[in-house]
Amino acid sequence: MAATMKLSTLGYAASMLSTGLLDEQFQKLLLLQNKSDPNFVAETITLFCEDGEHTIGELTKRLDKQCVNFDEVAAFVHKLEGGSASVGAKRVKNTCIQFLEFCKEKSRDGCLKTLDTLRVVFYEVSGKFKDMLQLEQQQAEATK
Amino acid sequence: MFDLVISDVHMPDMDGFKLLELVGLEMDLPVIMLSVNGETKTVLKGITHGACDYLLKPVRIEELRNVWQHVVRRKFSNRETNNNLDFCKEYSKNPTTDSYHGLSQVTSGSSDQGNRASKKRKEPHSEEEDEGDDNDAHDNDEPSGSKKPRVVWSVELHRKFVAAVNHLGIDKAVPKRILDLMNVEKLTRENVASHLQKYRLYLRRLSVVASQQASIAAAFGGRDPFLHMGAFEGIHNYQPFASSAGIPSFNPHGLLSGVGAAAFGLEDLAPSKAIQCASSNGAVSHCMGDTNKFHIANLQEKNQANLAQGLTAPLVQPQLQQKWIPQETSDLSSFFSGSALANTMSGTLQRVTSSSFPPVELLECTQIKVGAHSSIRIPSASSGLLERSVGLSPNLQDSSISQQCAIPIDDGFSVNKLPLHIPFVDVSTTKLDASFVVPEQDMDQKGKFPERVTVLPYESLIAADRSKCGTRSSGSTMLLLSDTGRHSKYLKFGVASNSRHGMDEMVNGSFNYNGGASVPEQNDVYDFGISKLQGGFNSSSCSFDGLLNSIIKVENDDVPFADNDLGCELFPLGACI
Repeated sequence: MAATMKLSTLGYAASMLSTGLLDEQFQKLLLLQNKSDPNFVAETITLFCEDGEHTIGELTKRLDKQCVNFDEVAAFVHKLEGGSASVGAKRVKNTCIQFLEFCKEKSRDGCLKTLDTLRVVFYEVSGKFKDMLQLEQQQAEATK
Repeated sequence: MFDLVISDVHMPDMDGFKLLELVGLEMDLPVIMLSVNGETKTVLKGITHGACDYLLKPVRIEELRNVWQHVVRRKFSNRETNNNLDFCKEYSKNPTTDSYHGLSQVTSGSSDQGNRASKKRKEPHSEEEDEGDDNDAHDNDEPSGSKKPRVVWSVELHRKFVAAVNHLGIDKAVPKRILDLMNVEKLTRENVASHLQKYRLYLRRLSVVASQQASIAAAFGGRDPFLHMGAFEGIHNYQPFASSAGIPSFNPHGLLSGVGAAAFGLEDLAPSKAIQCASSNGAVSHCMGDTNKFHIANLQEKNQANLAQGLTAPLVQPQLQQKWIPQETSDLSSFFSGSALANTMSGTLQRVTSSSFPPVELLECTQIKVGAHSSIRIPSASSGLLERSVGLSPNLQDSSISQQCAIPIDDGFSVNKLPLHIPFVDVSTTKLDASFVVPEQDMDQKGKFPERVTVLPYESLIAADRSKCGTRSSGSTMLLLSDTGRHSKYLKFGVASNSRHGMDEMVNGSFNYNGGASVPEQNDVYDFGISKLQGGFNSSSCSFDGLLNSIIKVENDDVPFADNDLGCELFPLGACI
């Protein structure tokens, strides 16, 4: 079962990789899964998606104000950057890096613009992740 | 309980670096930092705070596979440190190997062993921090009464020390108060006291070096105020010399003894045969406090008499506690430009080699390879740093010559061990380079070794010799300086190559003292990373380099990586901050 799951996931991951949505870190993530923790990848990805959404929500809220606390914003972005790097979400990570630059410069406009980009890339990868998980689940059920 | 800590850098409740310090100090665990931010300055910050390693996110499996090595290394170094009771012994083992170096060896050794499987550690979910490799901040406190625990003066510890000293004021800083301010457990008053002594010497040396710089280049000679004979004590591998032309490092015992031997062999020393430390009588007076000094004084008194015989039984002796490091055959690259003195020195040295040398004991420690050193270099370039052991030519072998005098290279602490039996050419007469810096080497034990050896310029030695020739008769003419009074001459040899070597060594393992100079104090692997003096002492840079060097990069062995070890989520996203 684990093997099947991996295969389908890998297939999906391959497509994401080719589009540049993910990088090879994701493959490594997949490799970490084993018998003792069969849901590792699924949990990790889910966690990433949820966390990311929460972060983006927070960022939107904070950047909405006129007076932005860039340190806080940077902390959130940093957190998302770390998470995305670990999962292999390349574009999200790169966007976060850009975001951090703007935070350093304390440019609200820059931040807002990057936040938009971030939102786009994030939901893109997050959507794909969810599809992948669904696919796996279906396969898992199918093989039962 | 736990063996390793892996901690993120950015965390909401606490700064990762702070946690690193705390865990390192209190729990003495290796700490590995983790972050998505791989900027050099952040990594550097991690290192200086004592991290064993710094991983970048996304973390790769291969990197994690090797994490256990940090634990093993730490355990090894702990064990070693505990076993090494005294500094002397440690240093004497191999002057060029400072603890840091030793640690590297240990590490590589450990990785070669088959410990891997047993050492694999499952990283706990809670992240812990790794203690920096270099920074073995643990004070090994062995409660056993007989053994003296070795204190590793890590960067952290030293920083606290310096902060405490600055807070109290260098004049008012007493070990007890410093200890209280530092508030580091397991640190004894004695540890602080010896460290303080070294630090003071180091500072003194710095100031002297700075002031002497110009004068050194111009004229060697004059008294070198720096010769802190007091430096005999505890020689620390301070590299302050960046600019000092030649910091004499000498082992008071050895030196004086050696000097006596060398100088004494010749009767001529009357005028000033005594080898004088750093060209200044004042320097000698420093020694006074020391038994050796006394000895030297005696020596001087006896110069004339002794000279005839070559001397000095009183001299040499016993004080040599240090081990002589066989000098490398490289030439003495740096010499004091003591002009006449140097010449004398070389001449005498040569002579010594050729002739039988009566004072065996004297020469015992000093085996200065005078050889055909044609190059005389002013120590300024390299001297300060290098203390190399100079081996006398084999001619001097004598039964009593037990060791080769090695001029300790200024490698970290290793220098400490080297006794210098280098006859010191009196600068005063010939205006030798006065930039002797007495190495502050605190030897916990009795031996204090001069850190640096000043080298007399070859030419000057020759000249001196020539001048003496007339007066001298036979054989042992180790007349170094025929100067006016008795001076204990101190020959410092800085071997250029040594210095370089020393530098490398230093870099590998020395600690840098804060405050602009790095004083390598390394006891454990960490020690030091600092730099051996490179011209200027830059504590932060030196230490960083040293630290970097000391960071042992995990080698990607084929360690079977059991997935089970990573059962837990490697990077729980929730914790990714």
